[in-house]
Amino acid sequence: MELSSENTGGAVIVKAVGRVDGANARDFHEGLEASIGAGGESMVLDFEGLSYISSAGLRVVLLVAKTLQQQSAKLAVCSLSDSIREVFEISGFDKIVPVYADAGDAMSGLGL
Amino acid sequence: MSGIQPPYKILVVDDEPDLQPLVQQRMRRYVRSGQYQFTFAQNGVEALECLRQDDEIVIVLSDINMPKMDGLALLDQIPKVNPNIRSVIISAYGDMKNIRTAMNRGAFDFVTKPVDFDDLKLTIDRTLQQLLEWRDALGARDRLVALQNELNVASQMQQSILPKSFPQGSDFEIYASMKPARSVGGDFFDVMRLEGGVLGLAVADVSDKGVPAALFMMSSRTLLKGAAIGLGKPSEVLAEVNNLLCEDNETAMFVTLVYAVYDPSNRKLTFANGGHNPPVLIDRDGNATRLPLTGGVALGLVPDLEYEQMSVTLSPGDHVIFYTDGVTEAMNEAEEEFGMDRLEGLFSQSRPSEARVVNDVIFDAVMDFAGDAPQSDDITCMTLRAEG
Repeated sequence: MELSSENTGGAVIVKAVGRVDGANARDFHEGLEASIGAGGESMVLDFEGLSYISSAGLRVVLLVAKTLQQQSAKLAVCSLSDSIREVFEISGFDKIVPVYADAGDAMSGLGL
Repeated sequence: MSGIQPPYKILVVDDEPDLQPLVQQRMRRYVRSGQYQFTFAQNGVEALECLRQDDEIVIVLSDINMPKMDGLALLDQIPKVNPNIRSVIISAYGDMKNIRTAMNRGAFDFVTKPVDFDDLKLTIDRTLQQLLEWRDALGARDRLVALQNELNVASQMQQSILPKSFPQGSDFEIYASMKPARSVGGDFFDVMRLEGGVLGLAVADVSDKGVPAALFMMSSRTLLKGAAIGLGKPSEVLAEVNNLLCEDNETAMFVTLVYAVYDPSNRKLTFANGGHNPPVLIDRDGNATRLPLTGGVALGLVPDLEYEQMSVTLSPGDHVIFYTDGVTEAMNEAEEEFGMDRLEGLFSQSRPSEARVVNDVIFDAVMDFAGDAPQSDDITCMTLRAEG
């Protein structure tokens, strides 16, 4: 699993590539926490390159959403593959974290 | 982490009286700086006594030829007192026979007489370095053992809450089993006899692993049982358990579960899905249909959610399979997933006959598929069969 982030237009866009499972969920968490901007920016998780996410990974998404919420910032996810979208739909996570087609949609969805 | 710190205690063993003042003089700089601390003994017997009295000694520096107990005999005895001590032998120059014997008996290194104190200092430091690394490794091993114990506790907790036997009836059959992953996951299932001959069925998957997940699983299961007995309707049961799990859930752990109530008298199955994989209905001819998701969110995340429930009326010979993602996401060595299609196609050729057989067929298929690939998640499957 590889993470890369860029700060653009008032949000941090983090691209996750590879697999997130129980074995690297902690790295995933630390990487996302480290990407949280100092200025209370919202975050967009771009999952285009993500091939798999386990429930431990979903839990990290939620923890990061909570951290951002404390800073009055928001979290959105975008560019889900069919299988990742299915995971979000089955678990009901798509009702907790907004899901967008791409980063541009996510930015406008966040009001940026 | 090594548990030893300077000054490092070194025991010098020699029957010749001139070595002690020489060591004290030539090493005094390191003694004053707090790096080393020396103790002296005249022979092997005295040396062992020193080791028994002072378990902080980390290195023994010993001559070979001594009265009472010589250096080679001492080498045999040291591990019995303390296996983590390193020994350095002082031998006559060119005495390869004794040096070889000493090394065979576990000496870490040797220096030769007349002692070159610069060389001795280097030898001591090298020995200490190795000893520190060794003790670090031992510490890591101990921590690993502690972690393993923790996982065993979690595993026992997980096993202890699973039903060992299932309700029997002339008009239904239930069978369930779980194959835990090596690192403890958080699957569980439950079968409850409720009022009026109705059955409560649950299959669940907790989001994380280890002891915290096992504790979360225990409370999920207890809350579910309480709500199932008190409330009855699956939608209300999920809403209640969700609210209870949301209290003080700072760690954002969650559980996905399907809870269903089955009434054998009219073969009506009512179910509510909280973020879990959809159960699969296999009819008597082996055709598979996914039961619809009821739109529920995984439990423990957001309080005050409403959950929907749906009902289906089963026909005699129908099987309903409740499972966790350990089944559908089981991977083979090519990193392909078992997937829903394989699960749903399992009975297209051979009609399902009884609950236990159906359950076993699924497990066997998943195991066959996975081959030698390691199992990364718990695999849980519960089968309900409706009889006429």
